Amino acid sequence: MKRLCDGWLRLVSPVVPHDIRRDWLREWRAEIAFVAAQSSRAGLGLPVGAVWRAVGALPHAVWLRCDRWRFDMIAQDVKYAVRSLWKRPGFAAVTLLTLGIGIGANAAIFGAVRAVVLRPLPFPDPDSVVTLSTTTTTRPGLPGGSTSPPDFLDWRRDSRSFTEMAASVAEASAITGDGPAEQVPNAHVTGGFFNVLGVPALYGRTLQPGDDPINADDVAVLGHSLWMRRFNGRPGVVGTLVTVDGSPRRIVGVMPAGFSYPLRAEIYLPQRFAEKDIIGQRGAQYLDVIARFKPGVTFTAAQSEMRTYARTLAAQYPRTNGNRTVTLFGVRDALVGSVRTAMFFLLGAVGFVLLIVCVNVANLFLTRALGRQREFAVRAALGASRARLVRGLLVESAIVGGAGGAVGLLFAAWLTAIIAGLDQGLGIPLLDQTRVDGVVVVFTAGVSLLTAIMFGTLPALHTSAKLDLAGRIRADAVTTTGDPHKQRVRSALVILETAIAVVLLVGAGLLARSFASMTSVPLGFAGDNLQTFSVSFPPPKYPSSGSRTTFADTLLERAAALPQVESASAIFGLPLTDLSYAISFASLDGRRLTREDARRPMVQVRLVAPKYFSTMGIPIRRGRSLDATDRAGAALAVVINETAAKEIWPDADPIGHEFSLGTPLGLQGPIAGGRVVGVAGDVRDFGPVTVSKPTVYLSFAQFPLNYLTVVLRTRGAPATVVEPARALLKDLDPDLPMFEVRSMTQLSSNVVAQPRLYLLLLALFAGAAMLLAAIGIYGVLSHTVSQRTREIGIRLALGAAPGQVVSSVVAQASALSFVGLVVGLLIAAAAGRFVQGLLFGVKPIDTVTYVAVAGGLAVVSLVASWLPARRASRIDPVAALKHD
Amino acid sequence: MRRLRITAVNVLQAIANGYEYGFDIIDQTGLPSGTVYPALSRLERDGLVRSAWEDEAAAHAEGRPARRYYRVTAPGARALSESASFYRALLAVRPRAAGKATRSTR
Repeated sequence: MKRLCDGWLRLVSPVVPHDIRRDWLREWRAEIAFVAAQSSRAGLGLPVGAVWRAVGALPHAVWLRCDRWRFDMIAQDVKYAVRSLWKRPGFAAVTLLTLGIGIGANAAIFGAVRAVVLRPLPFPDPDSVVTLSTTTTTRPGLPGGSTSPPDFLDWRRDSRSFTEMAASVAEASAITGDGPAEQVPNAHVTGGFFNVLGVPALYGRTLQPGDDPINADDVAVLGHSLWMRRFNGRPGVVGTLVTVDGSPRRIVGVMPAGFSYPLRAEIYLPQRFAEKDIIGQRGAQYLDVIARFKPGVTFTAAQSEMRTYARTLAAQYPRTNGNRTVTLFGVRDALVGSVRTAMFFLLGAVGFVLLIVCVNVANLFLTRALGRQREFAVRAALGASRARLVRGLLVESAIVGGAGGAVGLLFAAWLTAIIAGLDQGLGIPLLDQTRVDGVVVVFTAGVSLLTAIMFGTLPALHTSAKLDLAGRIRADAVTTTGDPHKQRVRSALVILETAIAVVLLVGAGLLARSFASMTSVPLGFAGDNLQTFSVSFPPPKYPSSGSRTTFADTLLERAAALPQVESASAIFGLPLTDLSYAISFASLDGRRLTREDARRPMVQVRLVAPKYFSTMGIPIRRGRSLDATDRAGAALAVVINETAAKEIWPDADPIGHEFSLGTPLGLQGPIAGGRVVGVAGDVRDFGPVTVSKPTVYLSFAQFPLNYLTVVLRTRGAPATVVEPARALLKDLDPDLPMFEVRSMTQLSSNVVAQPRLYLLLLALFAGAAMLLAAIGIYGVLSHTVSQRTREIGIRLALGAAPGQVVSSVVAQASALSFVGLVVGLLIAAAAGRFVQGLLFGVKPIDTVTYVAVAGGLAVVSLVASWLPARRASRIDPVAALKHD
Repeated sequence: MRRLRITAVNVLQAIANGYEYGFDIIDQTGLPSGTVYPALSRLERDGLVRSAWEDEAAAHAEGRPARRYYRVTAPGARALSESASFYRALLAVRPRAAGKATRSTR
């Protein structure tokens, strides 16, 4: 114990001003020794109270030090630091710029992470709000499972853990009248929805349980953005009528800005359940359920209550609920999901960049301090204490850090605007909420302080470590190779920099390789010159399937006649849009399949108009395509994809086989299914990363749903057909908005937008890191060369060839970068498993990437050593020897 | 004369009462070491106390190093009595608020 106290005192003692340090140490030791002597006389060890008392030595030491440092002295330091920085504007500019970029990039990425992952969601007590997902008992952890209306109603009635539970369905509605027809994302919500979230309306009221009955008034609540855009932000809009999907609804409220849940919803409509929904639809899962905990109810308790209840339902309805259970997710997890890893990965990467920035600036400071040895020696000789010199350097680095932080904040504000403006199609939720707020500013200040400490302390301690006054003042103290210890520290810094740069380069390389393999996967259709747009038929205006088919036929016929169009067709469930039904077979070749049937296939259902496959360039492998003869009333015909053929009929020709899905598609339609007439090529409907799933294509004319995506193969650029097609649609029905206007090229690019963004950012970080590392290598080498001028001069005078001199410098660079490379690759290999989830078609330890990084680094280190080496070889021996 | 803070009065009073070593003052006042020592250094800087080392021989006899002791100087005694009467006056006005301080200075 006594030893511990003594060690502590010794540790603290440097803080005490030098002249009174001995007395200070003596006094504290004596007091401790006195207590120790007393207690040992009483036969005890040193009491804990005395040890605790020794902690007070630190405030005492700090007080003594601060007492010595008066404010005017600090002011003097500041003035001196500013003046000495001003004298070398080049140094100041490089340092500030480097720091500004490093700190700014960190602040911006932190801002994005905060918006997406950290900032509380915009409703009160968000931790009490959960989503309830219907999941399978085999994979209960998979988020996003929707729930059937009867299950939801049972949960709501019988659960005890929640104050309120509500369901929502996100779709889209056509808004017409008072301006152009417009398709906006909507949310159908049950009455408790806004109470669960706890957000009141800005004007009017939210939807309430009173809006739930099937015969209640048709009402709507506007989201803030739609209200601003279409109704010019007039509060008087409450109480007026708006035409939604062809029928009038009364606007009862407007939501405040910043409220958007489900994401992007712009209009809220009541979700109502007819009697038949409740009875017959326990298998139809389409509701997203949210709930708010009662006070005091824990997540685990609510989870176990719902799991138990799910077992009750499973016992009661084994056919639909047999393998289902309920899993609770925090609202944030449900929203953000997989993006979280990527965000933290980026934050880590940019943190590495900042680390390199610190190392580099530390190196700059160190170089500068070495150049100022003489100045320090003179100041010390004139009576400045070592502490004073250290303090001066620390003040200097604090000033640089602070200014760097300010530059960084400006840079961050600029980057933040870019991040917030990124395309929503990127699929990173809440990213548009990124902004520089108080927390980001505090973060930036903290980071600046931390960097200042990191890059300032080392050189300061270093400078003060050995002040050989007489030696430093004499100008001839320039040794032949410089202080070997200092050189070692700088080399270590460069190695560290290089290693970090290597880690980032490997990361960028892996992402690049992954991206390349992602984009080289054939998607299964001929993607060029394909323009798409969607149309939806409001039920009041297109009540019968015949009216929808007629409209679609006319639209496609007239579109095909447009001069820009080579071929026109349409589909429900366009590839790369995540839209399709997944339904299990109910019967196969007349045999009923039950839940227990192991070979009960699950297929993706898509509905196509005639000529779909030829328009998209999807090959028909066997049989025929779907055409104009496959109409309502004709025998139901089906085209399946190759995966379905292989999985369902592995040993037989699928043509001619029959199946049924057991549910009707659309209102009053026939039971979906039919006879297989052809096999089409596989399409990667869910993007390059997901393999094709078994898919069946039905004829749209036989199952006319109220939504359709038109596909046009154009003669020229796809965009040229958009306006003629819009005019055509307006001519056919001015109330039908044209929406989701995208070319297939855009869609293919959207599905890889996230990986592309990550790749771009990481490549940027890695590039910056490599540049900084190269500057570091260059700095060390030029310093060495200038220190070795005399030695090299002697060597040259004694007959060394310039080539030998060059190779000795290059060898030094190679040694530094080689060690850095090895360390970096080891770190990268160890960290590899963390990025596994972000990679596609490439292993975390990828030879090609590793070799490429090594090669790249070799080139960079050669380039960095080129100038110093050349300078070394051109040293004039005579001048060098006359150096002093 | 600038008025002393309550902590300084506390420490000064303890020394005046004959508790002259750092840890004794801590024991006496009940204040933490991180408060007492800076207060001592401050008082010494302002000339209200002065310090010296106790007799080496006496300490060695007990098998420990010599301790540093503090004595109140004449200005210190004056400052103490002025400040103490100020706080006592304060005490008369707000007896409950200052009650705790009186207890520990006694």
